[in-house]
Amino acid sequence: MNLVVIGINHKTAPVKIREKFSFSPKQILEVNQILKEKSALAENLILSTCNRMEIYAVETRGVDCIGPIKEFLSRFHNLGLTDYQNIFYVYRDKEAVEHLFKVTAGLDSMIIGEMEISGQVKKAYQDARESHSTGKILNRLFEKAFNNAKKIRTDTFIGRGAVSVSSAAIRLAKKILGELGDKVVLIIGAGIIGEQLAMYLKKNGVKDILVANRTLEKAKILTEKFSATIVTFDEFRNRLTDVDIVITSTGAPHCILRKEDILELMPRRKQKPLFIIDLAVPRDVEEEVNKIDNVYLYNIDDLQKIIEQNISLRKNELDTCRRIIAGSLESFMGWWAKEKKHDA
Amino acid sequence: MPSDNFIPCTFNLYSTLHIVSIFLSYLVFLIATATAAAYLIQDALIKSKRTGVVFSRLPDLSFLDKLNYRSISLGFTLLSLAIISGFIWARNIHGTYWGVYNLRQIYSLVLWLIYAVILHARLSAKLRGRKVALLSLFAFGVLVLSLLATCR
Repeated sequence: MNLVVIGINHKTAPVKIREKFSFSPKQILEVNQILKEKSALAENLILSTCNRMEIYAVETRGVDCIGPIKEFLSRFHNLGLTDYQNIFYVYRDKEAVEHLFKVTAGLDSMIIGEMEISGQVKKAYQDARESHSTGKILNRLFEKAFNNAKKIRTDTFIGRGAVSVSSAAIRLAKKILGELGDKVVLIIGAGIIGEQLAMYLKKNGVKDILVANRTLEKAKILTEKFSATIVTFDEFRNRLTDVDIVITSTGAPHCILRKEDILELMPRRKQKPLFIIDLAVPRDVEEEVNKIDNVYLYNIDDLQKIIEQNISLRKNELDTCRRIIAGSLESFMGWWAKEKKHDA
Repeated sequence: MPSDNFIPCTFNLYSTLHIVSIFLSYLVFLIATATAAAYLIQDALIKSKRTGVVFSRLPDLSFLDKLNYRSISLGFTLLSLAIISGFIWARNIHGTYWGVYNLRQIYSLVLWLIYAVILHARLSAKLRGRKVALLSLFAFGVLVLSLLATCR
């Protein structure tokens, strides 16, 4: 009874190769069953995401499964394996267990600590259970992997801190304004990052989005995308009194919001906090604006810096994560050793 | 002058009310001060773009501002109650509402005035956020001074 993992990921293969080996969600159930029969495996599970394709398998006694699995992959995807020999990694037993623990906790991801993978592994496990391709060992192994990931998530900073411009901006917005449910966003200028950010804000439940752009056609495209309200470019200054978040991304060569404008605005806003995100280069908002009470100004570099800090903060947590993994590994290997003895 | 028989009964009612409400008001002002301090730290961190561990652990500004405002409102009400019951208690014992050189009374009134100013500024939306937080720290400073001056 050996545990094996064979796979490819973003480190060993570029996307144009990864996509050739991937399985669609619809195929997974069926493929799990076929793989089990064709490759004479005791247990198996396929994990297929955009960054990795891995097969976890428990060998039937005395039968090496790497060859049959590779052969299965080549037949299923109609690919000649000779071209792809070097992209596969294989881990056995303890190393395989450790690998799964790392993957599930997001330590093997492109962005370290990214937690989406945890849900993807969970889905892969559910699919495999549904197709009856897992058994005692994989069930226990994956349950342990989820516990381990949960422990890492709650005990360390690995998954915390935003690592994209949009998520960094949202986090700041929440720290300044509290819940976003009754907040109104004004987008001035229709740039791509501004648009992404607006989408993200909408997902986070902001009440309303207003769009002001010099050309109305572009603004109209945006309004259709996330049911926003159009404001003419000349009118946006009047709307500043009742919005909570302002995102600027115009192509204007000079500042469109100056310190005097905001100073004059704040009494009319009754000092209600204002979060301004300036994504434009050259900048749309005068830097001095940040010095005004209850006004918080972040530009694109500020957001980038937060992301860099957070990534290094995550890297600092790696040692703690490794210790947690070592604990989980020992506990699983102990259980497995007992099982082997029992079977023998 | 109240009769001797009258004193014990009023002494109990107003003194209890006075002591309980003043103790509670100080406690609530302490909460207001803690939230104001947290607000000032969080505000400075966000302004200076230092979004590390402390930033993550502290609550959001909106929450801190609201909690500060609410606790000052409650503390102010309790303090008013304490001052009124204190006046009545004083009258019942000394026969006068106001002892001219009573430091305790003077300090309490000053404190009451400061918190009244904070509440007014906040309600009329003239001040919000950082300045209210700074004022509530100042008010608590006065509160501590009054305790030191009168509890010897």
